[in-house]
Amino acid sequence: MILAAARSDKERAAFVCSPADGPQLRFGDMHPPLPTVTELRDAISHKRMSAVEATREALDRATAINPRLNIFLELFPDRAIEQARAVDRAIAGGQPAGPLGGVPIALKDNMCLGSPALDYGKTTCGSKILAEYRSPYTCTAAARLMEAGAVIIGKCNMDEFAMGSSGEHSAFGPTRNPWDPERVPGGSSSGSAAAVAAGIVPASLGSDTGGSIRQPAGLCNIVGMKPTYGRVSRYGLVAFASSLDQIGPFTRTVADCAAMLNVLCGHDPHDSTSAQRPPEDFGAELERGVEGLTIGVPRQAKSEANHPSVAGAVERAVKVYEGLGARAVEVDLPHTPHGIAAYYIINPAEASSNLARFDGIRYGHRAKLAPREDLEDLYSKSRAEGFGREVQRRIMLGTHVLSSGYYDAYYTTALKVRRKIKGDYDAAFEQGCHALLMPSSPTPAFKIGEKMNDPLAMYLEDVYTVGVNLAGLPGIVIPGGFGTVDGRELPVGMQLVGPAFDESRLLRIARMLERETGFGARMAVG
Amino acid sequence: MIEQSRGPPLPAPPYHARMAAATPARSPAATHSYTEADIASVRLMVGLEVHVELATRTKMFSRSPNVAHKEFDGAEPNTLIDPVVLGLPGALPVMNKAAVEMSMMVGMALGCSIAPFTRWDRKSYYYPDLPKNYQISQYQLPLCFDGSVEMPVPAGGGGGGASAPDLPRRIGIIRAHLEEDAGKLLHEAPGVMGGGGGGRPIDFSLVDLNRAGTPLLEIVTQPDFSSADDVVLFAQHLRNICRFLGATEGVMQKGHMRFEPNINTIITLSDGRLAKTPIIEIKNLNSFKALRGAIEFELADQPRRWLADGREMGAGTKFTRGWDDQAMRTMIQREKEDAHDYRYFPEPDLLPVTVDDTWREEVRARIPELPSSRLARYRHDFNLGHKEAAALVDERDVCFFYERCVAEAQALGVDYPRAGKQAANMVLQSGAKRANERAVLASELGITPAQIAAIIKLREDDTLTSTSADELFGLLCEPGQSGIDAAQLATTRGMMTVRDEGALEKWVDQAIAENAKVADDVRSGKVAAAGRLVGVVMKLSGGTADAKVVREKVLAKLGQPIR
Repeated sequence: MILAAARSDKERAAFVCSPADGPQLRFGDMHPPLPTVTELRDAISHKRMSAVEATREALDRATAINPRLNIFLELFPDRAIEQARAVDRAIAGGQPAGPLGGVPIALKDNMCLGSPALDYGKTTCGSKILAEYRSPYTCTAAARLMEAGAVIIGKCNMDEFAMGSSGEHSAFGPTRNPWDPERVPGGSSSGSAAAVAAGIVPASLGSDTGGSIRQPAGLCNIVGMKPTYGRVSRYGLVAFASSLDQIGPFTRTVADCAAMLNVLCGHDPHDSTSAQRPPEDFGAELERGVEGLTIGVPRQAKSEANHPSVAGAVERAVKVYEGLGARAVEVDLPHTPHGIAAYYIINPAEASSNLARFDGIRYGHRAKLAPREDLEDLYSKSRAEGFGREVQRRIMLGTHVLSSGYYDAYYTTALKVRRKIKGDYDAAFEQGCHALLMPSSPTPAFKIGEKMNDPLAMYLEDVYTVGVNLAGLPGIVIPGGFGTVDGRELPVGMQLVGPAFDESRLLRIARMLERETGFGARMAVG
Repeated sequence: MIEQSRGPPLPAPPYHARMAAATPARSPAATHSYTEADIASVRLMVGLEVHVELATRTKMFSRSPNVAHKEFDGAEPNTLIDPVVLGLPGALPVMNKAAVEMSMMVGMALGCSIAPFTRWDRKSYYYPDLPKNYQISQYQLPLCFDGSVEMPVPAGGGGGGASAPDLPRRIGIIRAHLEEDAGKLLHEAPGVMGGGGGGRPIDFSLVDLNRAGTPLLEIVTQPDFSSADDVVLFAQHLRNICRFLGATEGVMQKGHMRFEPNINTIITLSDGRLAKTPIIEIKNLNSFKALRGAIEFELADQPRRWLADGREMGAGTKFTRGWDDQAMRTMIQREKEDAHDYRYFPEPDLLPVTVDDTWREEVRARIPELPSSRLARYRHDFNLGHKEAAALVDERDVCFFYERCVAEAQALGVDYPRAGKQAANMVLQSGAKRANERAVLASELGITPAQIAAIIKLREDDTLTSTSADELFGLLCEPGQSGIDAAQLATTRGMMTVRDEGALEKWVDQAIAENAKVADDVRSGKVAAAGRLVGVVMKLSGGTADAKVVREKVLAKLGQPIR
């Protein structure tokens, strides 16, 4: 399959031969670049390729790769081919194929998919408690994708109920990082990130409550974005922490990210917290450059805990921007150190309430009762059997911080910290920063099992991402370079954070770094 | 607990103040061993919580039809549902603006302030009829707060309240907040379609979620009541106000209104000491009879219980009791009191509600005239007595029917005060009498306001006697008469007043001839006896003669002056 690849010279260079200071290519360097969302869409709409072909190829790759990496919990080959045929028929009939016409896409398994008539498999949330749950309705985000012509090929593995930063907390086994199967892909959107990184699909959807899109994007060398809170409807996304949850795309390029946002964003009458905004073309100004813009680099992003490759990636990015005529300034986000603490109060508090509905009464796992056991036993046994350890930990934490006598000390205080953190970001933007630059996580991918018995170490994976959720801001992660860990080249991510609803400019700023560095052209395929 | 950022001063949760002010529980009764003889007097103190199911078309937080709306009443179990009602994974609530506006209207009618800024809170508890295992409610910032209602003077006068019946009494309203109702659990087999087979014991429970998510307005009063009569009178008045506002159908048997009185007593002992019994909350009373019964039972029983256990009001001494409708008594409920920690926190799936002046005043402008104002108007404009006017506003449907009668009569040329007076007579006499017989409302007899207006017009024109008017009213209540022209029917039935002088002469002469003794009495000055002769004439005329004219004729014939 030969496609017109709209890539910059530097991107080609990065692919063909590594930059002098870059890594030695080892993975995927023999593989031609797989088509992007926009390339596929154009090829399909111009009939250089059929939607069915594109879908078959994605399904074949998924089937081939899944036994090794455990990316997909379920594939819907029949339904997907059916959808692809409909796209091909529309194109043959001269109708527009839609902005994502025929593009195969995967969903994180916390997004409801189904209807009373159509079976789209299960919506498990990576949990035993929903292992057999079939949704009778489809989430707004997936409905929008399908309306735009996208073909949903399957549902991706994830940390149970999106709680985790490694993908290991899935009831269905961990997903493995395509760059090194011994390592985690990050989480909680582990499968969605790996599906794009492994070249199965050009785009997928994840959800980001404290970094669950951005951290795995960084660990998998792809683009991942958490839009401003309220940009994308949460209707049909199984709620984790409602005030923090946001759906967003994984792609391989910034342009694809913009193309996905164009379809995903918009008010939904089913979600009161979804924003009423005029429609935008997020890709319109991608190539406009960054001359005259100010990029803030938080003092707190230069932590001792950062892996040298992460620190180096930040310095490199600063140089790139300065080289393009942008100004880099140091900014202070003084409340950052309290972010994790506040986040791990607000998030479990909301989760404990959101997950109360999983009680074995109406749907989901129901425990078998012994004689004389009563309703309370049914509740506690069903939940004890159905929820994994991390979920139970968060439910207990959340229940505790909301209980009378502790509420003020924990929850009220956390809300105050949340306001302070938002204030930090607002101040930085008011000082003239157009975006803030920071890592997506402190280190490259860690080994499976490494942090499983140390919840605090796992929680610190989110140190650069949770603040953005607490403040409700848009954050994008793009490939930031590579570092060597135990003799292996592993990707690190670079994060850019913008003011609320300023996605267009944020994408443009991210695009310039992508164009100049081209790290994303390297793929973990082989 | 929850930090308050903006909005009105925080209303105290019900009884909070009373509880806090009370001294800790102790047992003087036990130590001093008082007996019934030591009780000098007992004073009752009651505050009321009322749950009103709002009659919006759709539910509080979803587009599913609302079972409390008359169109969806009686729907098959679990048919008024959707992902939101079922609490399915991923479903989100969306606020029903109509429910908020209805609540604002009720709040304003109860003299409440409307919060400029309010929001939703989650109240957590596990129960199979609560699909999300939390209820969306309003905890710290209720939509309506700080109101008061003037107690109505009962239609029957008196009322039996502790305070003088003629003095207006005010009942404080602490708050009125919106929440969603839960579903229903069935612990025995339901009847098959159309009854039959119901009540069979089953070893499982059934859930019907039709009611889950119905908008529920919880109104909380100050503990301002000192008699069961007052509480019931207030509850009826409240129901009436809500029905006039169209906020609820208010069918008690369907649970559209549920009461939870908080009751305690203050015992004065012969040694001068005061003892306050613990506050008892009676859950889920859905009839006025149960409400009255529960309060009266507690008034009698609380001093007895105090003598026995010595427990007094204090922090942590609020108890919940249930009502047994058969035994007519309250009893301890099997409920873990101290296990409740509802873990309220702000609902993150819903935006806070900001009520600006424009919206509030726009809603206020839509409030229809309330019963108390109508009562005053009827008394003033139509010269009705309190009892009559009160009877007219006692029931929304009758009241609206009455007003249509007045309007129709005006349209026929009867002047406003006369139309009001005559329509009141029609509705309260001819109507109420038949309504009682048939156990329906006067507005449900079948006769239309236009027909009643036609009767009024005939009466005003003196072409129909009051006897005939009532008879005609009765005829028009028969099935299939709603399209009939009242005047035409009166004519064909020979009910129109006879003005034929010849016929009248004949009947009067006949009456005198057949009652010579009575006629002599009249001739000799016993004018009162003329009434009997008039009665005979009326009988002869079949009620079509005008009694006043007949009387004049009889007196003239018997040589008596007309007075």
